[in-house]
Parts: sequence; C-alpha cells; structure tokens
Amino acid sequence: MASSQFTVASPPTDAISALKFSPDPESTRIVVSSWDKNVYLYDLRDENGAVGEGKLLQKFEHRAPVLDVCFGATEEEIYTAGLDWDVRKIEIASSTQTVLSTHEAGVRSVVYSKEHNLVISASWDSTLHVHQTNDPATPPAVIPLPSKPFSMSLTATKLVVAMASRALHIYDLKALALLSAQSEGTGSNKIEFEPWQRRESSLKFMTRSVACMPDDAGYASSSIEGRVAVEWFDPSADSQARKYAFKCHRQTADDVDVVYPVNALAFHPVHGTFASGGGDGVVALWDGIAKRRIRQYQKYPSSVAAVGFSGNGKYLAIAISPGFEDGKDDVVEGAVKVFVRELGETEAKGKGAK
Amino acid sequence: MGKKRRGPSLEELLARPWCYYCERDFDDLKILISHQKAKHFKCERCGRRLNTAGGLSVHMSQVHKEQLSTVDNALPNRSSLDVEIFGMEGVPEDIIQTHNQRVLTQFQQAEAERQAETGNPPAGAAAGGQPAKKPKLESVSDLKKRLAEHKAKKAEARTGGSSGEATPVGAGQTPTPSSGYTQPPPPVAAAAAANPQFSYPQPYGTASPYPQTASPVYPNFSPGGQQQQFSAPAQYTPAGYSPQPFAGGTATPGQPYGATPPAFPAQPPTNTPPQSTGTFPPRSGSLPTPPNLPQRPAVAAPPVNAYQMQQMHMGHAAPPGTVNGGEKTETTTPIATPVDDLISGAAKQADAAAGDKPKGEEKKKDKSKQARLVYSDNETSPEEKMARLARYAYEPDRRGETALEELPAAAVVGTIRETDTVVDPAA
Repeated sequence: MASSQFTVASPPTDAISALKFSPDPESTRIVVSSWDKNVYLYDLRDENGAVGEGKLLQKFEHRAPVLDVCFGATEEEIYTAGLDWDVRKIEIASSTQTVLSTHEAGVRSVVYSKEHNLVISASWDSTLHVHQTNDPATPPAVIPLPSKPFSMSLTATKLVVAMASRALHIYDLKALALLSAQSEGTGSNKIEFEPWQRRESSLKFMTRSVACMPDDAGYASSSIEGRVAVEWFDPSADSQARKYAFKCHRQTADDVDVVYPVNALAFHPVHGTFASGGGDGVVALWDGIAKRRIRQYQKYPSSVAAVGFSGNGKYLAIAISPGFEDGKDDVVEGAVKVFVRELGETEAKGKGAK
Repeated sequence: MGKKRRGPSLEELLARPWCYYCERDFDDLKILISHQKAKHFKCERCGRRLNTAGGLSVHMSQVHKEQLSTVDNALPNRSSLDVEIFGMEGVPEDIIQTHNQRVLTQFQQAEAERQAETGNPPAGAAAGGQPAKKPKLESVSDLKKRLAEHKAKKAEARTGGSSGEATPVGAGQTPTPSSGYTQPPPPVAAAAAANPQFSYPQPYGTASPYPQTASPVYPNFSPGGQQQQFSAPAQYTPAGYSPQPFAGGTATPGQPYGATPPAFPAQPPTNTPPQSTGTFPPRSGSLPTPPNLPQRPAVAAPPVNAYQMQQMHMGHAAPPGTVNGGEKTETTTPIATPVDDLISGAAKQADAAAGDKPKGEEKKKDKSKQARLVYSDNETSPEEKMARLARYAYEPDRRGETALEELPAAAVVGTIRETDTVVDPAA
C-alpha cells in the first residue's frame, strides 16, 4: 500500500517548466519541458515493461527555453511552446519539428483537445492561437485576450484561460472549433471571439495555475499567494455558491506566515481529486468536493514546478526545480528532478463527504 | 539502626499526579498525560489521541460529525466535558481536596495497619515516646502470648530477680496496648475492610462520601494512637504540617485558600486531625504547578494587555512597508501590518478554533498573521521574469525563418553569456 517513489534518470539540466503524462491509460510516458531548451520524453517502464528508474527516450532541442508541452492525438506526437515564440509539433518517431505558428512573444502554454482536434496556444502577446490539427495548412485563428495568459487547461468541452489582472476566460471548445474552421478563408485570421464566460479570479493574487476537473464540472485555480480556489462552470447561483478557496503551501516561521506560490495543479483522472504543488516543495492531494486534504507528501528539496497524474491515475509525477518562488536565482546542479510516486489503490481517492 | 523506609511518605503520596477522570495516580506527570490521552481522550472512531476532552469533542464533531457527550472510562460523576483537564491542570479545587483527603485517609489507615502489625512508630515521626521503642522490639497480638509464655518459662528457669522484674514490665507494657487494641481490633479489621472499600471506583461515585467515611476513621484510629502517646496530630506536626507552614502556604499561593475552609465539609471537630488535614490546602496549591509540566495547549491570553495594545497601535505610525515592497498596501488582507502581529496571539487561537479550511479570502483571519509572500510580484509571472534573464534571452530577429534551430540560438546565447562572464569577475 505504501507508495513507492523514484526519480527519473537523466533529468533536465535547468528548471522544469512543464510536465505531462501521456493521456493514454496504459502509457507511462512523460514529457518534460525545460528552461534548458529541451523537451524530454521519458518512459517509466524499462525494456521489460517493469516500472522502475524511468528512462529517457528522447530529447528534443529547441532554440529557446520551452515553457510548455503536451501530447497530441497519439503519444507519438507532442506540441511545444516556448520563448522562441513558436508553437511546434514534434513527431516523436521521426524527431521532426514543425512550426505551427509564431506568436509575437513567448508562448506560455499549449494544450491539445482530442475531442475537437485543436491545438491551442497562449502567448504573452495576449493572444490565443487555435490550430486545426487535421488541417495543418490553415493558419491558426488568433483570438485576442485582455491580458497576458498565465495558465490554460481544458476539458472535453471547455477551455479555461487564466490571465494577468486576475482575468479568467472560459471558452466553449465546440464554438471555438467551428469558428476557427470558418475563419480559414479570411486573410487576417484575427477574430474577436466572445468567451462563454468571463470571470474574475476568486483569488486576490496572480493566478499561477489552473486545472480542469476531469468530469467537466469545474476547475481549480491557484495563486502566488498560497491559495487554491475551486469553482464550477455552471453559472447558476447554486453552483456558484459552491465555490470556495482555501489556504495552503504556507509555513509559519517566527510568527511570520511565509506564503508560497502554488505552482502546479493537476486533477486525478479517475478519482477527481487534485494535487497541488507549491513553492515550498510540498505536494498535497485534495478532495475538491469534500473539501478535504487527503494527504500531503513529505517536503521535496526544492520548489515544485509541475505535477501530473498518469492516464490511469496510478502514478503521480512531481517535477521540482528551484525557481524565483524559491528565492533562489541560480539553478544548482542536481536540484532539478522528476519524482514519480506509484500511488496505492486508494491513495488519491477522496474519503467522501461525511 | 538503619532507617528503612517502608513506603512513600505522605508528602510523596500527595505529590503524585493523579487522573481527574479515574482517580488513578501516577509516578510522573508525563505518564498521567499519556494515560489521559490513551484512556480518556482517545477517539473511538479513528484512534486519534487528543490532548483534552474539548479537543476530542472538536475532533469528533469536525472529523466524524459526532457529538461527544461523556469522557470515556471516567468515573460516573467525572465524565463531564465541562471541566477542561490536562494532566493535573484544570482539576477543580474541591476535587483536589477530596482527593487529598482520600490520600490522607488511606495513608493513615495504612499507617494504622502497619502500626497495629509492627508496633512501629509512624514513618517520619520523631520518636517522641521512649516507651514506643519497646513494643517495636516485640511483635504484638499473636506473638505476645508466646513471648509472655517464653519469658515466663525463662523466669521460672532462671528465677533471676532483676530480669524477672524486667520481663514482667516488658510484658506488662504489651498488655497495655493490647488492652487498647481490644477495642481497636474493629478498627484494624475495619481498616483492612475499608481498604478495598477505598479502592478508587466506588467511593468516588459522589464526592461527599469522603469526609463521611474519612471522619469515622479518625476516632477509631486515634484512640489507640493517643494511648500510645503518638497521636495522630503528634505524628504529623513534626513532619512539618504544623499550622505555620499552613499559614505560609496560604500566603504564597494566595487566592484559592480563602475558599478552602468551606471545602472541608463535615470535618468532625472531635479530633485533632482537623489540624493535620488543614495542612492540605498548601499541598494542593502546590500540586497544579509541578515543574516538569509539558506545554499545555495554549489557553493563555495574548501577552499584550489592552493598554499596551492600544499604545502600540497609537505608537506605530505607519506599517514599515509591505514586506516585499509590493504595491498591495491597499489590499492589506494577506500582507498584514506589524500591528496586526500583536493580536496574532488571540487571533491564532480563533484561527485554530475556526478550523483550517477557510472559505473566501475576505476572512479577517488573513490579518492575524504577518504574511510574507515568497513571490510577491502580482503583475509579472515568474516565468516572465526568468525569460528576461540574460541566460534565457532569445532574440527572435536573428533567428532563421525556417528550420535552422540550433545555430542562431546558440550563437545568441553564447554572446550573452560572455558578457556575463566579463561582469562577474569584475564584481
């Protein structure tokens, strides 16, 4: 029952920006993007199929630090976004990189919607680029945003974009897909697209991360001020009354509450619980429905940059790297690591409301 | 003669920590506390051990959604949740006195028994009576007959004048107590019988039985003692339980002892023992503050009194800046000012009581603590900041439009790193 934990061999040499598990339930592949300009592809299984060390399958070099990565339709393709302003598609088998589009500033995040065959990238130029994957020739639709995007997450039907100034947009993916498909003829593909919902973050500070519930009911967002909010999509007053926020990732030292940013959120694909990773190096599992903390793992040696559950929910990967939030500027050799926890049957399962 | 200590002195007995809920006593306060956690403050649902009954109650209601009504394994009249007990703290004064009374009674009974058995003077008694020494050599009751016979035989055999006289005296002395003991056998038996009766559970059904059961003991016991010259009062006065220490005791701990006299109900004025029992208040006063008391869950008020607090509020002009120099002074909620720190003590308790999952940020709680944001820039994300660092710099203009990935980027970054290395040694 006790969860075992191991570190992945040959981790990135610089801070990790993102970590994603393959959504395929049987897969144990992880992609990690790093500030060392590389995207790393790991498989937790060795040649014999046993889960152990985890080995580096491939490394894809970019021209600039990579800020986000995600798997595409299959685990043979990944999409990356980085400081070179490009959104790229990488075919793993052939290692070919294709630039899908170029933003006018660094690209913060990229997501893939398999339901709608869309790749959506969010850049600090305050735009979203919506790419049709089944029609790669078409230039992407450009959707202006009111502020710089900081984090993005999607469900089967919705896209949540968290931005600066505590703005938050929820887009309807179906409408987005239709619109971007229609826009293909027009010359400038910049389209004003009204989000399904505009919201102000329930958190008073900068949104750090946002993650959608696997059941498409809502999302959780976290801020730099040690807080996580859980909200529901349903605009009815009833559902909105259910939203709440709580403090976490704080430490009291000498009567001063040291508040760490909550860098990463990830929902468990099966249980619907979620993990939060903070600048304090702590990873906690929460039951967002019962409003309970399920467990908290022992502090990791440095700030948690990203967390992710495997497709079947059996593994929790935790990327740690010292960052600004840690108060340290330089990356110490060996401080960047990817931990993988093998979760027990009920380890991430909520205890249920009492 | 070596002084063999038969058992703990009365002082030691009274100093032993004991459990309010079940009247068991313990060697050590730590053991008492762990006993309480295990027996009385343990959650029956999840086995968690809490520090106090109140804590358990909160735990039960918050975690298991159940209402705790009584303290487990407690004596019938001690199972209330109203009294907050932690180790020896929080035990009501009258209960302490009842307990002391009981300890005293038991001690005296044990002493009486032992005396009856051995004829020894009570432990710690300053061997007042010389005659007392003699019965010590001889054992009583059973033996004395045999002894008398034996000595008679001896006397007969030797027909020594002086020794013959001496023995009768010795024998004559034993009879004296024996005559005294002809009545005492009831007390001895009563004491023996009373002992089990005094075992913890039963008598504590009510607090009142004590004085009642206790008082009869004295008349029973002391007559024998008084005859023997070491009366009960005599035996305690030398041990330092004279009225003076009592007075001194009242002076030191202060307050509670105004209330103590009424707390001795039904104290029979028949005997001198009242005096010795009167010495208990100081003992009980000294009980609640044993030196090795572990930290209690904070109950104390904040260390700043109202005046000080006000003064400091007035005195502090402006909060010395937000800790991280953010522009968020208006939204002070999370970044508390030092003044707020003053009330943190009180507020923290409120926090603890309020539970750990706050809903909504507008809670006043946030003001309770001085908070320091590790990352305080509310406008620029850490990634953006990092992207501005020289080592991550990327010049989009220089890059090739198509596929040349590595070369241009490497070249650009390389130059920047060079400038870095130039600067560093200079600094």
